[in-house]
Amino acid sequence: MERTIMHVDMNAFFASVEQQSNPALRGKPIAVIGSSSRTVILTASYEARAFGVKTGFTTWEAKQKCPELVLVPANNRLYTHVSSLIMKIMHDYTPLVEVFSIDEAFMDITGSLNLFGGVERISYLIKSRIKARFGISCSIGIAPNKLLAKLASEMKKPDGLTIIHPQDIARTLEHLPIKELCGIGRKMERQLLMMSIHTCGELGRCDEARLTGKFGIVGSRLKQMGQGIDNSPVVPAEEAEEVKSVGHSMTLKRDIRERADILRFLLQLSEMVGRRARRYGVWGRTIHLTVRYADFTTFGKQESLREYINLSDDIYNAAVKILDSLELTQSVRLLGIRLTNLQHQTSQLPLFPEDQTRLKLTEAMDQVNNRFGDFVVMYGSLLDQEGKGSHVISPAWRPEGIRNVGVQ
Amino acid sequence: MQPRSTDIRVAVVFGPGMRIQPMWFDVNRKQHTIRKITNSWMDKKGETVFMHFHVTDEGALYELVYNMADASWKLEQIEVL
Repeated sequence: MERTIMHVDMNAFFASVEQQSNPALRGKPIAVIGSSSRTVILTASYEARAFGVKTGFTTWEAKQKCPELVLVPANNRLYTHVSSLIMKIMHDYTPLVEVFSIDEAFMDITGSLNLFGGVERISYLIKSRIKARFGISCSIGIAPNKLLAKLASEMKKPDGLTIIHPQDIARTLEHLPIKELCGIGRKMERQLLMMSIHTCGELGRCDEARLTGKFGIVGSRLKQMGQGIDNSPVVPAEEAEEVKSVGHSMTLKRDIRERADILRFLLQLSEMVGRRARRYGVWGRTIHLTVRYADFTTFGKQESLREYINLSDDIYNAAVKILDSLELTQSVRLLGIRLTNLQHQTSQLPLFPEDQTRLKLTEAMDQVNNRFGDFVVMYGSLLDQEGKGSHVISPAWRPEGIRNVGVQ
Repeated sequence: MQPRSTDIRVAVVFGPGMRIQPMWFDVNRKQHTIRKITNSWMDKKGETVFMHFHVTDEGALYELVYNMADASWKLEQIEVL
């Protein structure tokens, strides 16, 4: 049976949410920027895009393109809240909703078509409800698989509805540049161009052995992509694979060198990782520390422990041990801690009294913070720390479950 | 959205090129002025062509459906905003 997959993509999501929440910004060129002073443009409204302002521009570059540009600091909590509500609307039409990122989702509506009166009706219902409730337009792509549905939604922006029917797949792909396919990045594109493969049609006709010779097992997948074949299912959150790691990283407001400063950030990150791990009942045995220097050189080191841990101070001690094994040659721009090698298990009562006290203390802190907000009760050395908590929405953010990271 | 399927009266401006613009409608003797048409599209059941309009007033989103064969209107769905 032919599947019907829908890809819903919110247009200029962050900027649209800002324009809706502040009527004074409507119709104006605006750009959403991160909260830190070293940020870049996260997204720009369509009015700003008309001036050539693009995601990733520095604020200086953006102002050069559009002097009247209004810079709006990101309100991540608002975006995650609105995203969660929008995803709930999608669940009214099918339980098979796969949240792809904060502003994108796939839906498998194969079984819902008769119930709601066809693809167009479901599409317009979703578009109208999102528009009427949140003032945000979205582009919808509909096709027999996720690859083509995503491609279709990119074809008409903003506020588009594009359907790729099975009989139109070959014609649609024949002259389409390979970079338009989701999963073909710049590096892959360069390699394919060097093989004289410019279009999806050429990719689909390419000898599979030639592709696998160059790319390994990915080669077969690439050929299928060129032919518009994608058998991957729409995986709702409850069926998604268990997470393999719990991590947080933060770009610091200024580059730091002092050990005491680095330790303070490590403690904060350990608390964020530990809190999330404890909330979802996971323990990890491997700690990974990521460091990025001021010149953007990034490296990491990991260490596996004998026991599974999820208490913040255990994570912190392991991270400090890794830090002490490194020789930092430059000031630090970004720090990250990841807990991997995870195990989902019920908690075991510690044997020794001091460990029992530590566990009880952590549980008490968690209970207070769950009720009143992150970092309401915290380690004394974090008291003066500015900007505690997560300030960016990770691409892995999801409205529910362990990937639901609370943002500031 | 709540399904309704109720016959309604609609005031419409018919413009050039088959342009149909509903202006207000009344349900249960209450008149609703249309603030915005968020989407419109056509579909067919057999020979009959239906025009669907998603419209908003001050408090809700409605789906109005125009039956082009007998020039009748139905309110199909409501969602309170």
